[in-house]
Amino acid sequence: MADESPYTRKFRKELMAGLSSLVLLAVLARAGREMYGYEIAKAVKAEGEGGLIFKQGAIYPVLRSLHALGLLESRVEASAFGPPRRYYSITDEGRRALSDWQGAWHDMREFVDDALAAQMSLRGPTLESRA
Amino acid sequence: MKTDRPPDTVRAYLDALRNALKGSSPGLISDALADAEEHLQGEIASNPDKQEAEILASVIETYGTPQEIAEEYKSMETAIAGPFPKPEPKLEQHHGFFSVIGDARAYGALMYMLLSLATGVFYFAWAVTGLGLTAGFAILIIGIPFALLFIGSVRILGHVEGRIVEGLLGVRMPRRLPVQTGADERIWSRIVDALADIRTWSSLLYLLLMLPLGVTYFVIAVVGIAVPFALIGGSLASLVSGHSYVQISDVPWLEHVFHTAPGLAFAILVGGALVFVVLHVAKGIGWFHGRLAEILLVRL
Repeated sequence: MADESPYTRKFRKELMAGLSSLVLLAVLARAGREMYGYEIAKAVKAEGEGGLIFKQGAIYPVLRSLHALGLLESRVEASAFGPPRRYYSITDEGRRALSDWQGAWHDMREFVDDALAAQMSLRGPTLESRA
Repeated sequence: MKTDRPPDTVRAYLDALRNALKGSSPGLISDALADAEEHLQGEIASNPDKQEAEILASVIETYGTPQEIAEEYKSMETAIAGPFPKPEPKLEQHHGFFSVIGDARAYGALMYMLLSLATGVFYFAWAVTGLGLTAGFAILIIGIPFALLFIGSVRILGHVEGRIVEGLLGVRMPRRLPVQTGADERIWSRIVDALADIRTWSSLLYLLLMLPLGVTYFVIAVVGIAVPFALIGGSLASLVSGHSYVQISDVPWLEHVFHTAPGLAFAILVGGALVFVVLHVAKGIGWFHGRLAEILLVRL
């Protein structure tokens, strides 16, 4: 991970920019209840092997932006000691966005897979598959 | 500018994050710090058997380095419209002297000036009472809890004032309460922390300062609203009814103005111009006070 080249990092970052919103909506929709940032971070980590792909710190700004778009609701529960927690839950609009985005994601995945598969068959099967 | 050693305490992490965010809006910095502190404290709370340094080392792997996190917040603020309140359109409509009449900020500032007398008196009374009682109770057993309560109340008042300032003056302020320091710290170190935190003192200074400022703002606002409308209304009434209602026996030429039709028309014009002047003044005060609140209430 540490020896990853800067442009690979940039590529990952750009991929995640939109997908992180989709993942977070999916997590909150499936949970069906309020969750706070740390809890969501843990849930995301548990979900894929993508613990390293997805820095947990990156979810907080995304949560804030989804909230600002009206796809999530949030409330802060202050605690007398220790930092207050911000709880997020998905709105109806968020659920609608989630199903739309899922469709978009399926299309996109097919498109990318097709493109990559075409590339593979062009190069022929003799090529080393290891990157 | 990277530090040679990765941060091994929550404090050090937050300092590094704050450093990496230098130049962003204070509210954004404050949000990012609050999120990071919430997460780090959560991590510490769920691993009670580990050392802070040990936890920090693993957290930097999973949560991200301060530099990475700073980048996320910056790109999020620029990329997605509206994650944070839309940045004030930088090219303000400075088209001319008269466009201020349609500028919501000027009216917001005027509202704030009227409100600031009430809030200023309340903040001042609260701060002075709290300080006095804290000093008085210092020798008693309830001294320490009382001091803690008072410090907490100062922070909450600072936060509430921040909301008012953001709403009326359009200056971005943090939208959550400043986080408390470590959950496992003892009372004494919590007090020391709060006392060492310059923000506690600057918030207190702000609360005290709000009395003179509030009185000044209120007077300016009331006079600024009353004079132009008195000039316009009074002169109109004189023109229509043919009676002069203005008696200024010490300044004959001014009295004369209010007794002739051209003079009255002129007074109406002056009143109208004053409305714009007052709106500009309100906008200027709003700008000034926004900066002041940003400096004193937002922890950097």
